[in-house]
Amino acid sequence: MDSIRVFWTAAVVSAALCAGCVGTSWASELTIAIGSEPSTLDSQLREDGGERAVSDNIYETLMARTADGALVPGLAAEAPSQQAPTIWRFKLRGGVKFQNDEDFNADSVVASVQRIIDPAFKSEQASYFSTIVKAEKVDNLTVDIVTSGPDPLLPSRMYWMKMVPAKYSSDPAFAAAPSGTGPYKLEAWNRGQNIILKKNPNYWGDKPAIDQVTYSFIAEPGTRLSSLVAGEVDLITNLLPEFVTAVPAYAAVPGLETSVIVLGADNPVTGDARVRMALNLAIDRKALSENLFGGFAKPAQGQLVNPKAFGFNSALSPYPYDPDRARALIKEAGAEGKTVTLVGEAGRWLKDRETIEAVAAYWQAIGINVDTKFFEFGEYLTQLFDKEHRPGAVFVQNSDELLDADRPMTSAYESGASYASNSDADMAAKVKAARMTTDVKERAAIYAEITKHAYDEAYLVPLLNLEDVYGFSKRLEWKPRPDAKLLVKEMSLVE
Amino acid sequence: MAIFILRRIAQGLLVILGVSLVVFVATRLIGDPVKVMLPLSATDTQRAAFEHQLGLDLSLPRQLVDYVGSLIRFDFGDSLWQRRPAMEVVFERLPNTLLLITCSLGCAIMLALPLGAIAALRPGGIADRVTVFGGLFGLSLPQFWLGLLLILVFAVIFKVLPTSGGGSLAHYVLPAVTLGIPSLARLMMLARSSMIDELNQQYIRTARAKGLDFRQVMIGHALRNILSAFITLAGWEFISGLAGYTVVVETVFAWPGLGLTALQAIQRSDLFLLQAIVFTVAVLIVAINVGLDVAQKLIDPRINLA
Repeated sequence: MDSIRVFWTAAVVSAALCAGCVGTSWASELTIAIGSEPSTLDSQLREDGGERAVSDNIYETLMARTADGALVPGLAAEAPSQQAPTIWRFKLRGGVKFQNDEDFNADSVVASVQRIIDPAFKSEQASYFSTIVKAEKVDNLTVDIVTSGPDPLLPSRMYWMKMVPAKYSSDPAFAAAPSGTGPYKLEAWNRGQNIILKKNPNYWGDKPAIDQVTYSFIAEPGTRLSSLVAGEVDLITNLLPEFVTAVPAYAAVPGLETSVIVLGADNPVTGDARVRMALNLAIDRKALSENLFGGFAKPAQGQLVNPKAFGFNSALSPYPYDPDRARALIKEAGAEGKTVTLVGEAGRWLKDRETIEAVAAYWQAIGINVDTKFFEFGEYLTQLFDKEHRPGAVFVQNSDELLDADRPMTSAYESGASYASNSDADMAAKVKAARMTTDVKERAAIYAEITKHAYDEAYLVPLLNLEDVYGFSKRLEWKPRPDAKLLVKEMSLVE
Repeated sequence: MAIFILRRIAQGLLVILGVSLVVFVATRLIGDPVKVMLPLSATDTQRAAFEHQLGLDLSLPRQLVDYVGSLIRFDFGDSLWQRRPAMEVVFERLPNTLLLITCSLGCAIMLALPLGAIAALRPGGIADRVTVFGGLFGLSLPQFWLGLLLILVFAVIFKVLPTSGGGSLAHYVLPAVTLGIPSLARLMMLARSSMIDELNQQYIRTARAKGLDFRQVMIGHALRNILSAFITLAGWEFISGLAGYTVVVETVFAWPGLGLTALQAIQRSDLFLLQAIVFTVAVLIVAINVGLDVAQKLIDPRINLA
C-alpha cells in the first residue's frame, strides 16, 4: 500500500536526520551559560547583566575590586587623591593599549567619562554617574574628574565605568566589535547562538590561564541545568538552590542582593512604630533562608545595606523572631485584625512570590490581616514609585552594585527620593549629608546613625541577604566573587 | 481570481492597520520602559531625564502620529533593548522561527497524512486505536514539560543531541519534535476522521465496484477531497506557531527565534521592538491566509472565492 510506503520513507528520512546529529563534538575550552544574550557589547550603554558577564572580561575600569570586594586601583596606577572637595585626581597606568591598538591614556578616560554622561548618548548607566560634571586631562597619564558637589562615592563609581578607546568608541561598529584593555577580546559573535572571546596576547596584567571562552544564552533554568549536567558548559549562573545536588559541583558566595519590605510609615496601620516593629519580629528569617533558599541566604542584619558595602552597620543584628512579643505589640497598638496591603511581583527575583507569601503568612499569624497583591512587573514598578499612594507594605529586592550604602539609602530610606515610605525629614537630611561627606570616618558614622535610627523606627523589614549560586563542571576551578562578576582571568581548568 | 486576491490584500491591509493600532495602545498600557530599564535605585529626576531622552514624554496623540508615520516608512525606530533598528532585530530572528516551524510542521504533515489514512482503513482496528491513543496523548502533552523531558533523555542521559541553542542540524531535532507533536496529533486526527467520512461516500464505493485499483481510489479520489480541510488546518498550525506557540519551545531550547525575542521584548517593555514584531507577524499571517485561499481554489475548483 502506498500510504505505508510514504510512511516508511518519512521514517527513514527522520532517522537519517537524527543520525547526522550524533557526530557533535564537545569542545575543550571553557563554556559559560548565561541567562540572556547581550544586546550590545558597547559596555557603556545598557544596564544588563548578560552584557556585563561578557564585557567585564573585555573592558576594564579605573578602580577594581579584589576577590573579597575591597576597592583597589585597576587601570589607575594608585588610589585617587582629592585636589579639592569636588575634584578627584587619577594617575593612570602607563603602557596599556586597547585591543584596537589605541593607547590607554588621559584622552581615553576623558572620552569615556564625557561619553557616558552625555544625555544624547542615552546611557542606562548614567544614574550611577549623575554627580560627574566633566573630566579634564592634566597630562598624558593624569586626569581630574570634577563633580557637582563633594562626592565620596566617586572612586566606587569609577569601578562601574568601563574605559573605552577615545577614537574608536564613536564608530558605529563599536557596539558589535568592541575594544577594551581587558584580558579577553572578542573573537566571534554569532547572534542568537554564542559569543566567543579569545585571550588578549597584549594584555598588560598577569596572563590568564584560559585561552578561549564561549558564552551561550539559556534563559530557562531547567535547560541551563541540563546543559551543565550534559557536559556542554562548565559554568552556569543562578543555579536554583534545590538543584545543588544535581550538578557535578557548585559554589555559593554572598551576593549583592537584599530582599526587603518597605513599610508605609505614613499609612494608617503601619504608621504606628509598634506595628512596624511587630511586623519585623513576626518573621522567622532563618526558616525562610533554610526552607526557601536551601540555606543560600542569610538573615539581613536589620538594614538594607549589603554586609560587604561601605556604610554597613555591623553593630546591628537581625530582628529576632519573637511572635509572642509581636502579637503583644499589635494588641497594644490596637491593630488586631486591621488590614495591611502587601504589594509584590512574581518571577523577577529568585523565589519572590514564595518569600512574599511566607511573609504574609507570618503576619497573619500575629493577628494582622494581610491583603497580598501581586502585579505584573511594569504595574508593580508604578506602585513602587508612586509618591501619592504608598502601599502599606511593598516588597523589593535591592542590588547594591557599587557596594556603598548611598544607593540603598537613597532608594529606601531617604524620604521622597525613590521608593522610601516615610516622611522623616531628619533622616533624609542625614542621607543627603552623608552623600556629600568625603571624610571616610565621618561618613561611616552618619550611616551608623541612620541605620540604627531606621532599625529602631522599623521603617523597613529587611529580609535576607541572598547568595549567588553557581553550577560548575568537575574541571572548573574558580572562587565566585561577592560583586557577581564572572572574571575568566580568575578561572582555570583541571583536565 | 485576480479581483479576489486584490480584495483580500486590501482587507489584509486593514487588518494590519487595526492590529498595529491595538499594539500601539497595548504597549503603552503594559508599562513604562524607563522604569524597567533603569536600575531600581535611580531617582525620579534621573527617570524623568531618561524618559525625555527617549522621547517617551511626548503626548500620546503626538506619539501616535509619529507611529503611523513610521508604519508608512516601514521604520519602527530603534529597539530600546537592543539599541539598533527594531526591524533589523526582527529580520535577524524571523528566519530561525520560520525554519523551525517549517521543519516541525513539514515532518508533522508528512507523518500525519499516511498515519491518518492507515487508521481510517479499518476504523476500530488495532492501527486505528493505536493512532487515536497516540493522537490524544500527543495533544495532552504540555510542550514545556515535553521539551525538558526530551532534553533530559536525549541530551543529558544519552548525550546524542545538544540541549539547546542553534547552529547545526542537530539543534533542530528536539525543538522541532517538541513543537511538532501537538500539530502532528491534530493533523493526524483530522486526516483520520475526514478520510473515514470520505471512504464511506457513495462515489468511493462506485469507484471500487467498477474495479479501480485501491491505490488510485485512495490517492486520486479520497486524498484529494480531504486535502482542502487538511491544508486549512496545516495553515492554521503554521499561523498559530508564528503567532506565539513557538514562545515556549524557543524559551526551553534557547532557540534564537522571534517568539523568544517577543517574550524578552515584553519583559523589557521594549515598545518599539514589540510593535515591529507584531506588525511583521500580522503581515505574514495575512499573506499566509491569502496564500491558503488561493491554494484551496487550485485544489478544488468548485470552491467559490467571491
